[in-house]
Amino acid sequence: MGSGFEFNIIANLATGFGAAASLENLGFALLGCVLGTLIGVLPGIGPIPTIAMLLPITYGLNPLSSLIMLAGIYYGAAYGGSTTSILVNIPGEASSIVTAIDGHQMAKQGRAGLALAVSALGSFFAGCVGIVFIAAFGPPLAALAQEFNSPDYFALMVLGLVMAVMLAHGSVAKAFAMVFVGLLLGLVGTDVNSGTQRYTFGVTFLFDGLDFLPLVIGLFGIVEVVKNLELKEMPRMTVAARFRDLWPKLSDFKDAWKPVLRGTGLGSLLGILPGGGAVLASFASYTLEKKIAADPTRFGRGAIEGVAGPESANNAAAQTSFIPLLTLGIPSNAVMALMMGALMIQGIQPGAAVMTKQPELFWGLVASMWIGNVILVVLNLPLIGIWVKLLSIPYRLLFPAILLFCVVGVYATNTTPGMIALMAGFGALGYVLHKFGCEPAPLVLGFILGPVMEENLRRSMVMSRGDPMVFLERPISATLLVVSAIVVGLIVVPAFRKSREEVFQEDSA
Amino acid sequence: MTPSKLFTRTAAALLGAAALVPGLAQSQAYPTREIRFVCAFPAGSGADVLVRYFANAVQKVSGNTIIVENKSGAAGLIAAEYAARSRPDGYTVFVHASSGIANMLALYKKPPIDPYKAMEVVATINRQPFMIMVDPKSPYKTLAQLTEAMKKKGEKATYGVAAMTGRVVGEIYKARTGIKAVEVQYKTANDSLNDQLSGRLDYTVQDPQYAMAMHREGKLRILGVSTGERLQANPDLPTMREQGVDMDVTGWFAAMVPAGTPAPVKAKLHEWFVKVVSTPETKAFLNQSGGDPLIETQEQAQKRLLRDIDSWKEWAKMARIVPQ
Repeated sequence: MGSGFEFNIIANLATGFGAAASLENLGFALLGCVLGTLIGVLPGIGPIPTIAMLLPITYGLNPLSSLIMLAGIYYGAAYGGSTTSILVNIPGEASSIVTAIDGHQMAKQGRAGLALAVSALGSFFAGCVGIVFIAAFGPPLAALAQEFNSPDYFALMVLGLVMAVMLAHGSVAKAFAMVFVGLLLGLVGTDVNSGTQRYTFGVTFLFDGLDFLPLVIGLFGIVEVVKNLELKEMPRMTVAARFRDLWPKLSDFKDAWKPVLRGTGLGSLLGILPGGGAVLASFASYTLEKKIAADPTRFGRGAIEGVAGPESANNAAAQTSFIPLLTLGIPSNAVMALMMGALMIQGIQPGAAVMTKQPELFWGLVASMWIGNVILVVLNLPLIGIWVKLLSIPYRLLFPAILLFCVVGVYATNTTPGMIALMAGFGALGYVLHKFGCEPAPLVLGFILGPVMEENLRRSMVMSRGDPMVFLERPISATLLVVSAIVVGLIVVPAFRKSREEVFQEDSA
Repeated sequence: MTPSKLFTRTAAALLGAAALVPGLAQSQAYPTREIRFVCAFPAGSGADVLVRYFANAVQKVSGNTIIVENKSGAAGLIAAEYAARSRPDGYTVFVHASSGIANMLALYKKPPIDPYKAMEVVATINRQPFMIMVDPKSPYKTLAQLTEAMKKKGEKATYGVAAMTGRVVGEIYKARTGIKAVEVQYKTANDSLNDQLSGRLDYTVQDPQYAMAMHREGKLRILGVSTGERLQANPDLPTMREQGVDMDVTGWFAAMVPAGTPAPVKAKLHEWFVKVVSTPETKAFLNQSGGDPLIETQEQAQKRLLRDIDSWKEWAKMARIVPQ
């Protein structure tokens, strides 16, 4: 370590920028960002379908250019996802669900431009820190992730689900119920251990379980449209009139910089945990901000911290989640799985060997992340005006367009008509849940984390020959479970529960 | 729908189809349009890399446009069904691990297609082993050492598998040696790495792509390969058989077409694939992921498929896999 180590970081980054900053590669970064934002900004279409759709475009490029373009698409789409969360309350992916809570409220109050600017600047800052994080701590941090065994993953998932309940609006009972519905939906498919079919009714496209995309697009995209159609009088959102008003004021910076810092730190750490990633990071950051806020009642009603923190956290996590992929060859989430696929198309086996044998590729990608973030800020801050104009599109045009894009997005990822039927089904379910005042977010988390939790639970139990003590013997899992127990304790303690429910009651009012 | 309506529609559909079926003259002119290679796994997966390699190479050799169509899901069942029900005209080619067809009867009570009849192999691509691997920090340098230690550990021994073929190789190993290790299943080979490196798993049985990558990086050590003989891809790796554990589990990728495809079309496809498989580039490409190029006649390949279907029934019984 010491000075030699620091020199290495600089030398490595210099290698990276040398490779990534060629005119050609800058062009691909720009192209990726524009395409990613264009597609990602379409409501309901997040980074995963966007990357999936655009992946074929990069096949013909050389490995570095193709990765740079994909990374651009990723950031562009993620940014586009946040934009739709804020403007039309349709998160394109799970990690921008929390952005929608306060971001959309801000938009309704005519502060859409501010929310977008804070989201872009916070993400940019978090991205920069995340990159330094990868460069400096990538190798040693890979060792930490490598310590995670099956019992630890199980404990991590338990914590994630408990957090989901804590975060949910409305009653604790409903939140628990939603988590369990999510867990049940996650059971559909082929049992990993025995190969038994569960709730598949002989339908082949259910053998791998319910698809994530129709579920979220149904629950969020379709329901949003139906909810709006139900209103007799369409409330028009007040759009900030002049461009100058969109820029953050000094007081906004004062409110936002601390959450950005905290979100960045939290996100950088949670990003390297396989399975944790951007989703957990944004949720954790939101909880943290709400916990430490002087006046938590502002959350859910357009608190700038509720956008600044989670947006920084998910972008930091998005960057650091490259660490397990590039050091261990393990994709920590669906986006990384696509990146891994792109690497393999190029004949590169992701893993520690990339860093040692193809340093210009590894460091070029790291440098391109920074370039991509710069392009996004430069590209998107001026274009915020255009995104805001989306709000003035008449609903009679916007709603059919959203529905159309939802259908195209779902169909394009897996050309199975059944997916459209699933999406419609989840749209109906989401509407019923909405009528009963149940939040879909805990359901989605239960659905995502449930199968991973089940797998690791059963694996741990097989390895310990049925002895549950295995979860308490390991320091990592024991710590995570103790934290989960404390959170559950907090939720059920009457005093806390009362104050929590009061907070959320005001939200929904 | 009333019967008469059904009749008219069926008749119309048949007439339409008849108009589209190419005559003999046209089939000799094959190909006249783009050909689709169906891949059973999503874009970017290990199998997709292989299918795309061949799509590119066959496109060069044939001068004809080849499109890769990813039909992922249900462990390949969706793609198999889709390919098998395509028109048998040579414009839909299923490029897939033959085990995906061969193990259907072992896994499903009612497979969507008849594995004996639905598909015909036009060309073989490679053959590859599954591999038994241990942590390089462990004291086991040979299979015999591992076996001996596992016998001592009895039911306390634990091993990990990720793919169906891995399960089968693991069961044969246990049956031949009498060890009683308990199996733990993973969705992907990568998921098992942390558990293996922390000593929770005594050994794992993995696919060659993962095994070779880990072996090259020195993360895991390969003790034996499941093919009956050593492969050129890794001549240093001893087989299970030569270490006293008799088995020959050979995975192989192939190009398959729906039954009933005209012989001249099949011959042309065969010719293109043989040309591609016999190049040094293809050999290097296949070797890298632990397999050897495999060239057989269509008759040999079809026989190989039928033999595998029967082997799978036996292996599934051994692994106590109940058809679902």
